[in-house]
Amino acid sequence: MRRLLITGALALVGLVLLYGVGKMPPMNTRLAPDKTHVVPRYLEKGEEEAGAKNIITGIILNYRGYDTSGEVTVIFSALCAVIAILDREKKGRSRSGVDASAIQTSVIVKTVVRFSLPVVVLFAVYVILHGEPSPGGGFQGGAVIGASVILFTLVFGLPVSTRRMPPGSRIPLESVNVLGFLAMGFLGVALGVEFLTYLLPGIHGALADTVRSLMLTVIEIGIGVGGGVIFVSIVFTMIREDQYELQQDTA
Amino acid sequence: MNWTLDLLLMIFLVATAAAAIVLRDLLAAAVVFSAYSLMMAMLWTQLRAPDLAITEAAVGAGITTVLFIITIYKTVRKEGK
Repeated sequence: MRRLLITGALALVGLVLLYGVGKMPPMNTRLAPDKTHVVPRYLEKGEEEAGAKNIITGIILNYRGYDTSGEVTVIFSALCAVIAILDREKKGRSRSGVDASAIQTSVIVKTVVRFSLPVVVLFAVYVILHGEPSPGGGFQGGAVIGASVILFTLVFGLPVSTRRMPPGSRIPLESVNVLGFLAMGFLGVALGVEFLTYLLPGIHGALADTVRSLMLTVIEIGIGVGGGVIFVSIVFTMIREDQYELQQDTA
Repeated sequence: MNWTLDLLLMIFLVATAAAAIVLRDLLAAAVVFSAYSLMMAMLWTQLRAPDLAITEAAVGAGITTVLFIITIYKTVRKEGK
């Protein structure tokens, strides 16, 4: 009976979704999403107005800058929530504690990771710095950086990873995405124009374009580094708690 | 557009999605879910959304799976009836 109810509910949701898809306007018609509302303007004037060759970056950082600053805050809040529930890794707890890397990782895995990690990190840096003219940007590159450090931690163990990335160097970087965004946003306010304006007063012509792309790059780097470090800190906090419990058990 | 590749990807996508629900071993479900994200990442590139493909591959297939596995390690591996 319960199974039947679940199947029925799933089928109902599926039907509603399929009905919605069926109602979508067909591609390449007058009603298609890329020809209505604000999208044509983004496509036509995006590069010139938003200052990024990659229109997606222009929309995310310029037209919808408020949205993105909110999203950046959401990622930061996620870290705050994890720390509030699981307790921040404290000094001395794991130094002498159980070594999670006592589980032997195979030589093949270690070697593959050792050779591929530099390439992965290089790609992440490329994605962050090239977010303006090509697909990608801070969020994407930050996620790749975070994933690469987490992969390193899984293979070589938390103690080795913590030695390379101690909390002292991580904690200041965790808020860099929110602070970078706000700093660039309030730069305009300080000079007497609106929040999150990339065209500062008194700067014209080619210099204005340079300043704008510089500000976009600062935000991208902030989002990338901050996001990556936040991912790493969340995983470190979760693993660390484990080791603490293990210590309690053996004590 | 290469529709045979698209079709294959979508078949694998549905198969992995169904397997992730049906499997009672949560560790296996997490691994299958990671495979689902990989299929999704390839589909995003097919749909010409490379931004999403990079994010999906790093977050969906990588970080989320690690978080799931840590959680399973800290709780139980088998799903109760």
